[in-house]
Amino acid sequence: MKTYRWKRWITPYLLIIPAVVIMLVFVYIPVVENIYYSLFCWSSIDPTLKYIGLDNYARILNDKIIPIALRNNVLYALISVAFQVFFALILAAILESRVIRPRWGSIFRSAFFLPSVLAVTVVGITWQLIYSPNSGLINQFLRAIGLGNLAHAWLGEESTAIFAVIGVSQWQWVGYCMILFIVAIQAIPEELYEAARIDGASAMQQFFNITIPMIRETILVLTTITVIGGFKVFDIVWVMTAGGPNNASNTLGGYLYRVGFRNDEMGYASALATLLFVITFALTFIQLRIGRTGKES
Amino acid sequence: MEHSKTPFNVRMRRFYRVSLEGSINRLLVYLLFGILLVVAIYPLIWVFVNSFKTDIQLFDQSWALPKVWRYQNYQAAWNYGIARYILNSVIVTTISVVLVLGISMLAAYGLARFRFKGDTFLLFFILGGLMLAPEVSLIPLFRILSGLGLYNTYWAMILPNVAYGIPFTTFLIRSYMLGLPRDFEEAATIDGASIMGIFRHVVIPLCRPILASAALLEAMRVWNEFMFGLTFITSEKLKTIPVGLMAFSGALREQYTVIMAGIIISAVPMIVLFLATQRQFIRGLAAGGLRG
Amino acid sequence: MKSKLLVLVSLVLLASLVLTACGAPAAGTESGGSKDEKVTIRFFHKWPEPEQLDYYNYVIAEYEKAHPNVKIEMEAASDEAYKDKIRVLMASGDVPDIYFSWAGEFSWKFARAGQALDLTDAMMNSDWKDKIVMAAVEPFKLNGKIYGVPMRINAKFMAYNKEIFAKYNLSVPTTWDEFLAVCETLKANGEVPIAFGNEFPWASAHYVGDFNAKLVDPETLKGDYLLTADANTLFTDPGYVEALRRFKMLGDLGYFNSGANGISHSNARSSFIAGKAAMFYLELEEFATLAQDRGDDWFGYFQLPGGTGGKGDPKLITGAPDGFMVYGKTKHPAEAIDFLKFVTSPEMGYEYVKRLGIPSAAVGAVTEDNSLPSVRGGLAQINAASGMALWMDTDMNIKIVEVYLPGMQALLTGSKTPEEVMKEVHDIAVTVQSELK
Repeated sequence: MKTYRWKRWITPYLLIIPAVVIMLVFVYIPVVENIYYSLFCWSSIDPTLKYIGLDNYARILNDKIIPIALRNNVLYALISVAFQVFFALILAAILESRVIRPRWGSIFRSAFFLPSVLAVTVVGITWQLIYSPNSGLINQFLRAIGLGNLAHAWLGEESTAIFAVIGVSQWQWVGYCMILFIVAIQAIPEELYEAARIDGASAMQQFFNITIPMIRETILVLTTITVIGGFKVFDIVWVMTAGGPNNASNTLGGYLYRVGFRNDEMGYASALATLLFVITFALTFIQLRIGRTGKES
Repeated sequence: MEHSKTPFNVRMRRFYRVSLEGSINRLLVYLLFGILLVVAIYPLIWVFVNSFKTDIQLFDQSWALPKVWRYQNYQAAWNYGIARYILNSVIVTTISVVLVLGISMLAAYGLARFRFKGDTFLLFFILGGLMLAPEVSLIPLFRILSGLGLYNTYWAMILPNVAYGIPFTTFLIRSYMLGLPRDFEEAATIDGASIMGIFRHVVIPLCRPILASAALLEAMRVWNEFMFGLTFITSEKLKTIPVGLMAFSGALREQYTVIMAGIIISAVPMIVLFLATQRQFIRGLAAGGLRG
Repeated sequence: MKSKLLVLVSLVLLASLVLTACGAPAAGTESGGSKDEKVTIRFFHKWPEPEQLDYYNYVIAEYEKAHPNVKIEMEAASDEAYKDKIRVLMASGDVPDIYFSWAGEFSWKFARAGQALDLTDAMMNSDWKDKIVMAAVEPFKLNGKIYGVPMRINAKFMAYNKEIFAKYNLSVPTTWDEFLAVCETLKANGEVPIAFGNEFPWASAHYVGDFNAKLVDPETLKGDYLLTADANTLFTDPGYVEALRRFKMLGDLGYFNSGANGISHSNARSSFIAGKAAMFYLELEEFATLAQDRGDDWFGYFQLPGGTGGKGDPKLITGAPDGFMVYGKTKHPAEAIDFLKFVTSPEMGYEYVKRLGIPSAAVGAVTEDNSLPSVRGGLAQINAASGMALWMDTDMNIKIVEVYLPGMQALLTGSKTPEEVMKEVHDIAVTVQSELK
């Protein structure tokens, strides 16, 4: 009996240890180390650490690329919220209403969702070809309908590059978010809608008075995740423009990678990573606070 | 979240009278959705069609169907190494998913079914990983992996992927376990089954649906993972599709139609998997896919 | 009983983690055991194009045939990716035995950090020195020591479409003003004067680098590029602003195709080949691509004219050899050097020219029966030039490059002026200089 109790005591720890060890080594220790490294000047070619205190952080304040990168992150976050939360919600609500026949509904759902299963490079290179100034689909289309003067080198102009990249992200993820909303809407008890209909509520009223309040949680969580995603974004930017031209489409993540692995300033890249950490942490904290005013998820 | 309180098609059958206004609205909605449908899938169709052309045809008439279907483009792409990228992706994804599921399953069981000292702390310790952006750990990870001699090996992708996959998967499985009745486990305990016996013969079978969904979501994430592959791998022989395809398009920069063939080959496995397992996909998302 | 299994599983997991942690470094490179054990030489370069890989696979197969105890493991990453990867490899300690490098600062930085083997002895005290064009070795020298071996010789030329030039009675310009006049005539007749793809801004660096060399006094230029000049004067020569102004002028006057920043260099080349532009600024190694379908009769080439008033050397030609270095801490220096000798030998060089049309740096590799007339002509011009202005993007500190090159993109789109760009370049140069001290 005693051994049983001992086992009962030790078992949960043994169950959890593998997860804890891996996360410690590959998640938590790196995050702490990152802060440590940010206090040094070091490069990959010559990895001796030279202590420089907070110089790397002082440099962030004077770095002209940081405001561009942060602006792009903010744009990325805002536009993503507009599309992946609001627009996706509208699509979901329409698909779940009676307007669309079920057979078409499932075709639309699958088709809209499809881009989200593609690898980011597949998406990025595909759209590079589509945006291509001469042979690309978009400019050819514009010229075909007589709007050739609207044609741009979408990824090559400072004013359009970041929007072109953000647009691709929307293309890829709107369907995904739409499905999440559909799932949430389907979980709403049908009786609520029936009662509303008996009271003579219009479709719009049902949407605002039942659907939105009932999936408030999903909207909140998705909004914060989308915003945080806007600050973390790296891969699609790197694949499509590598931050160019003239850093016009750089984001914090892309700039961090470039500084560390191209310019070979590992210490400064660590400081940028710390900045990213602070931003995402703060946003998550806000999310948790907002989440608490709702119910526990 | 349950899949659906009211089945989709049942609700769809409850049609109301359609007024004139209603049918105009419906027309507009169909129009909007039709346009979106084209926007969503035409890019891929465009790439597919053009992947059979020569570069000259692509430049001249990228709307038209190819006059001659050049299957050689696919052969060229395949021979260049897309096959290898796919194999690597399969290896990395399989090992990562197995490890993530195994480790998370154990952890979730511990967290869902035992009360012990430090349980809340450990729960937050594991779920806390959800809050951290992988970018933040990139440089130290690079040092750690090189220090361990794992740089430029499969493990350089697998281990970080596993570490960043555990929090969400554990959360998913734990939530599901908390929703399961304990009756079976209690019955088994009374019958004298050991803890691991219960785990193996009672808990795992009960968790099968969530495991399937978690595996699918995790596979999708690892399959598409880009940053670790980009940073920790140099060798062509080890590159996965997301990173390999970038090298591929860099090397074949003039042969656009071959690149397009490469894109299609790389996209096919995921599209097929998605179309074949749509239900599980959506159930997985329903169970907690609230992750960007 | 079963919980023992659990303990076991956990322990194994832990142990395997710890084991991989501690055991792996030793497993990284095998130390020579028995005599017949194979030596593996890792070889990393920047030519992943299929036809290039075919060539190197051929070389490797030939070498391995003659040296059954050596195995060559090749990796390749394309240009932009290579610049990142080689640094990362250095940091990881997982450095290939032989790796590609551009000449100049790009190679010296490896030499300074002890990542490159001194090849002076191996080359000067053997017949190797007679088989390599020694002028091409020069830019790999640091403090009199040789750290790199040139693989190919390369320089920049302006190629033109003979048919289009004939149509408008144009002749090859010899001065900057003539060059502008040619562009103007072409533009007035609705032609695109110059095909330009600046997606990766090294393409503009080739123009600006050439202008710099022709407009700035060589000594001043060297002091600025290598950061040996006084901090206050770094990149303040008016020639730099003038160089940027010239480059910007080509864009502003509409002599480049539109949307250059969104087009890749190879895309621009395709449009030149297709006759959609009259000129194209390209490297000698690209002549073979131009000639691929129609031979090399349809295009001519000239050096970008220097123009008047410059303090630089108008006879300089922009270009550089590039080649290979041996890792400073390689476990198999003898084998690595031996393989490198083989790769850069006249026999392999001959094959290189024949298969790829790129001029090799091996003595006598370019002959009448394996090369295009245009390539031989280009080589002759290189030999006649008073010297070479190295690629500016690989000849100065990377942090300066990261400011200078995006600045050129900004010039083209009009978001910055030449003065603003040079001010930023000056500032970063001062910072970098103080960091290096």
